[in-house]
Amino acid sequence: MPDPFKNTPPAPEDKGVMTAQNIAAALAGESQASQKYLAFADVADAEGYPNVGRLFRAVAYAESMHARNHLSVLGGIGTTTENLKAAWGGETFEIDEMYPAYDAVAKLQGNDSARTSISYALKAEMDHQGIYDSTLKGVEGKKDLDETPVYVCPICGHTALGKAPAYCMQCGTTAEYFKEF
Amino acid sequence: MDEAFEKRLPKPEDLNAMTEESLKAAFAGESQAAEKYMVFAEQADEEGFPNIAKLFRAISFAETRHARNHLRVMKGINSTVDNLATAFAGESFEIDEMYPAYGEIAKAQKNVQASRSIRYAVKAEMDHKWMYSEAHEKAVDGKDIAAQPVSVCLICGHTVIGDVPDKCPVCAAPKDQYKTF
Repeated sequence: MPDPFKNTPPAPEDKGVMTAQNIAAALAGESQASQKYLAFADVADAEGYPNVGRLFRAVAYAESMHARNHLSVLGGIGTTTENLKAAWGGETFEIDEMYPAYDAVAKLQGNDSARTSISYALKAEMDHQGIYDSTLKGVEGKKDLDETPVYVCPICGHTALGKAPAYCMQCGTTAEYFKEF
Repeated sequence: MDEAFEKRLPKPEDLNAMTEESLKAAFAGESQAAEKYMVFAEQADEEGFPNIAKLFRAISFAETRHARNHLRVMKGINSTVDNLATAFAGESFEIDEMYPAYGEIAKAQKNVQASRSIRYAVKAEMDHKWMYSEAHEKAVDGKDIAAQPVSVCLICGHTVIGDVPDKCPVCAAPKDQYKTF
């Protein structure tokens, strides 16, 4: 009997509450594993283990495939309009709720390095919120985003459309380090 | 990474418990945002929005910078020997504890797609576990692993060192569905 599931990622389905919670936890676990392995790959390269660096990148990619499968089962992959709305919603939560609350705690506890990491993220999420907002308006009129370069600061994640700034206005990193998409 | 670059990154810090909880949650959030945006990019490509796809990939990269910063502050990025031990322990937990428990519940709740997503992940984690184990043994002696290709199945994340099989032993995807690193 042919396997109807062959060669396609797992599909959305109605799930039991416990299974839905578990798949959400597995999505969180796979996503974090992927990010750790990417950071570990950079360390391996810097220490002169290029093949271990490559192994970490390959396995990070495998974890991304698992994250995508779990996200699909959870029904988290929509149309681009829906995806932009979800992305905007996530950024807005981080800006309005999550990072201000975390910063207040870190400030109270005098954890300065944590505050830097929180502040870098919060400022970049504001860039993202604005960009997703204007992009969503375009897509609702069936229009793609203009064909313009997107620059990302590799230190703090500051994100700019169009022209690369001479230096990062959040963290001071100079233009030559910016990654262009 | 040069010194000027390193200097701008948030530094590892002795964290108070509540601030550490915050950063852990923020790391989980940024990691999941990065994965979601990569999936949303593919969806945008399919719908004929190549520039929105590029935007999602750029912002995904920005979120990976935040994830790395948070992880660094939490002292989660160490030497390659230590990183391989951490990676091995994470895979072992998923194989021995997490996925078997999730798999039982999904089976009891008759959620076939969730079961499939779990099975694909646990099979690949077994590949990763021994790869990390071998790499760790070498790195302890100061040696890199062999310069062999590492390939990943785009459907299930099956990971193989060396020759790619004609079809994926886990999900039966054909050879051309592998990405090689």
